[in-house]
Amino acid sequence: MTTLIKLEIVRSLRNKKFMFFSVIYPPVLYLIIAGGADSKPIPGMRLNMGLYFMVSMAAFGAMTAVLLGNSERIAKERENGWVRQLRLTALPGRGYVAAKMAAAATVSLPSILLVLLVGAVVKGVRLEAWQWLAIAVGTWLGSFVFAALGVAIGYLATGDAVRPLSMLCYFGLAFLGGLWMPLTFLPQWAQNVAEWLPTHAYAALGTAVEAGGAPHGKDIAILVGYLLVFAGGAAWLYRKDTRKA
Amino acid sequence: MTTTATTTADTAQGADRAPVVSFRQVSKSYGAVRAVADLDLELYPGETVALLGPNGAGKSSTLDLLLGLRTADAGRVTLFGTTPQRAIEQGKVGAMLQSGGLMEGVKVKELVKLARDLHPRGRPLDEVLAAAGLTDIADRMVDKLSGGQEQRVRFALATAGAGELIVLDEPTTGMDVSARQTFWGAMRRQAEQGRTVLFATHYLEEADAIADRVIVLHRGRVLADGTAAEIKARAGARRIAFDLEEPIDREALLGLPSLTSLEVSGRTVRIQSQDADATVHALYGLGCYPHHLEVSGLGLEQAFIALTTASDARTATAEEAAR
Repeated sequence: MTTLIKLEIVRSLRNKKFMFFSVIYPPVLYLIIAGGADSKPIPGMRLNMGLYFMVSMAAFGAMTAVLLGNSERIAKERENGWVRQLRLTALPGRGYVAAKMAAAATVSLPSILLVLLVGAVVKGVRLEAWQWLAIAVGTWLGSFVFAALGVAIGYLATGDAVRPLSMLCYFGLAFLGGLWMPLTFLPQWAQNVAEWLPTHAYAALGTAVEAGGAPHGKDIAILVGYLLVFAGGAAWLYRKDTRKA
Repeated sequence: MTTTATTTADTAQGADRAPVVSFRQVSKSYGAVRAVADLDLELYPGETVALLGPNGAGKSSTLDLLLGLRTADAGRVTLFGTTPQRAIEQGKVGAMLQSGGLMEGVKVKELVKLARDLHPRGRPLDEVLAAAGLTDIADRMVDKLSGGQEQRVRFALATAGAGELIVLDEPTTGMDVSARQTFWGAMRRQAEQGRTVLFATHYLEEADAIADRVIVLHRGRVLADGTAAEIKARAGARRIAFDLEEPIDREALLGLPSLTSLEVSGRTVRIQSQDADATVHALYGLGCYPHHLEVSGLGLEQAFIALTTASDARTATAEEAAR
């Protein structure tokens, strides 16, 4: 089991395209989006662009690593028969999914830290030590919600359908959840929808800490709710696939 | 070839040992297609068994059922007296699938190490690599292997643990002749260590060369079960060829005893016979004087074709009679 987790991590690190997207891309995007931002607060919020995007890009980066990485890999390995071969080992069925999530979480952590580092060094973000820690840990823990979604998509779709489906979830959730621009820039109806999306609750964990408070109970509840739905869905799809394979 | 055979006829030998694999009236259909039909099968410890049949005979379905990758519609499959899943969890089975994909982005030795680490009784890595002939390419990436090399990696995955049963689905697919010979050596060594080896193949030569028991599957049923020599004998084991002075009396030749097929081309006559001695004796009795008489054993391939066509003919006749 530990060998499998280690090996999953090693191959993630070897996959340069994947590493670029999950580790380098979020801080780069952060610099581009928040690059020209001034230190004035965003209308309707207490945070400025630099602060806001540091958290949303850290969330976005973590989501990239766990959602896109998991869904495509799992679908591909289901198709080429590797999952079948693994079922002939003593590895318990859940071990495969657990290793995939652990490996994804390992890759998402440097991406989160890199965005925070760029925020501190390049954008001059200054926070208390506990805030840095809370944001890093909160963003990392929150990424498991999207890891579960990635597993579910990987077991739901096959072949050509995986990428469009995961991309749709990925960009749709990122945009509507306010990871790319503050929600106050969106029309009211979109803001109403966004409030209930996991991505919004995810970024809100960090922004609440930046504003000097604890994450809101509602956001945590939303995330836990989605985690249960995604993980339950993933488990159901996994069992269905096991019977079929 | 026949010395180590343990066929189902030899149950006296098998009875004191519990079967490794047991199929009891197992059936499996995909829609209207009956892939496995009321299959009864038992394998005993130490046997090397070839599951032989053309594509679509039900070989892969049988192995999938055996490994618990599919569930039977009816009947019971047991491995070591328990369910396939339990036996696999206990590390008693190593398997190499025809469609078994490999993990990409890792080195050969990393993948083999994973298989041995996942096994409750993993064997030393160097030993597994050497036995599968992978020592030289241990550092190569799995994605960059040839078809034959991939097959060897799959073999290493199947033999990475000290399992008692090894199941191989068409293991030499994609290998050239010399690679195949080497691979057979590796399979034989597994069997010599006392493991039960079951492999599906449509290379008849392969069954003939390594198996001490051959099970011929056809349309999801066992058509024949015995040593390669017995299978050949069942199908009309001998081929008799000779030349005759014309004119040739076909009718008289068809009346020869033990004859299973007759082919006349020009002056040359080719006969397949269950009992070559009797056939040749009767041939002289007809007053014929055969020139260039040759009596030879039938290859397993011809035996196999003879068996399956005979079975198909019976089915067709039965279907016509039913109409």
